[in-house]
Amino acid sequence: MNRVDEILALIRHVPPFPKVAERVMQLLKDPDVTASQLAEVIQYDQAITANVLKICNAAYFGISRKVNSLDEGLVVIGHDILKDIIIASSSARFFQGKVGAGYGLEQGDMWRHSVATGIMAKLLVRHVQDVDQGSAFTAALLHDIGKRFLSSFVADDFEKIVEKVNRENCTFVEAEQEILGINHAALGGMILEKWEFDQPLIDAVREHHNAAALERAKLTALVALSNSLVISIGIGVGDDGLASELRGDGLKQFGITMDMLQICMADLLTELERANELLNI
Amino acid sequence: MKVIVGISDMKVSNNIKETLITYSLGSCIGVVIWDPVVKVGGLLHYMLPDSRLDQARAQKKPFMFADTGIPALFKECYSLGAVKGRLIVKVVGGSQILDPTGLFSIGKRNYLILSRLFNKNHITIAAEDIGGSVNRTVSLEIGTGRVHLKVSGRGEFEL
Repeated sequence: MNRVDEILALIRHVPPFPKVAERVMQLLKDPDVTASQLAEVIQYDQAITANVLKICNAAYFGISRKVNSLDEGLVVIGHDILKDIIIASSSARFFQGKVGAGYGLEQGDMWRHSVATGIMAKLLVRHVQDVDQGSAFTAALLHDIGKRFLSSFVADDFEKIVEKVNRENCTFVEAEQEILGINHAALGGMILEKWEFDQPLIDAVREHHNAAALERAKLTALVALSNSLVISIGIGVGDDGLASELRGDGLKQFGITMDMLQICMADLLTELERANELLNI
Repeated sequence: MKVIVGISDMKVSNNIKETLITYSLGSCIGVVIWDPVVKVGGLLHYMLPDSRLDQARAQKKPFMFADTGIPALFKECYSLGAVKGRLIVKVVGGSQILDPTGLFSIGKRNYLILSRLFNKNHITIAAEDIGGSVNRTVSLEIGTGRVHLKVSGRGEFEL
């Protein structure tokens, strides 16, 4: 078996995305869904239940009274935040432990980078019309899922990849593609496909390192931009450093200026201070 | 003992047992200053060039911006007995992602405003490691003034 086949075979063994998340997302498409209908589904996933209660009681969402039951919590936090919590608690399990070591990431770095990118995407939605916050958060949170599975292969060929990046001044993703035969963004897209996410989310993950991402679909542009900003700030960044390419002239069509991006960067730090509960899921 | 400097953060010290360290500088800049006579040093990790972007925020978080953070770093070290003429100044960071259109240039602008401030105030940089598309971690040993740098793809070395 050649190496690409070996990497692709891994995907067959990627555990499924939690079923509860999928069912709740379905239910949430109905604006009239009740808290008890949601609670009925969520209660079977202990991790999600615990996280909903924990986050309801955390400062991040600014709720002052104590929430004791799932029913009550769902009423208090509302659908949008509930979506974020469910996606975050369903995703966290894939980012736990020493994942990303091949990229020189310490334990927790990949999750911190993912949550920061998710929050950045939500902040940027204010400048990109017609993208829903939930999809932005989800796609951005999961954009590097391919790294989780490519990490050990990157570790095997680390010297070669880094040498290529240094010698040719190319991006880390280009070096991955050439030396491993596949890159983490493409692999991530395949994983989201396997998990049966909607096509715009699959595309956004697959293309998040496309230099022309700002010219692509809005969700793709948003995720690529969020990732670039979070990398620039240096949150959860490994040996791939800033060796990523994004053509900035695509910002014009959104009317986004560098000042707006700088404000988002500043806001992200404030949001992250409040998002401790999300980071500790 | 390690003292961690976060993003948009600053620490100064005169405790010779302490090492100030900041992780993962991308387009942000780390400014390290140290006075060998009194063994006082400081490390600033600023994220953005110009506080005029949001002055209310700059008041609350002066270490976020070059133009408010850098003066604060020097003043804090002076208050611990450091003297301007003796300070050894080292600067690292200011990377950026690859962008042929040159719009994503916060790293460059972060360095530019520092250069201007230093020129105006006659401060010379003893050593620097700036730019590129790398990620950097920098530390300062207060007791010896040694500055260690870790750069993605280039390993660890003394600056």
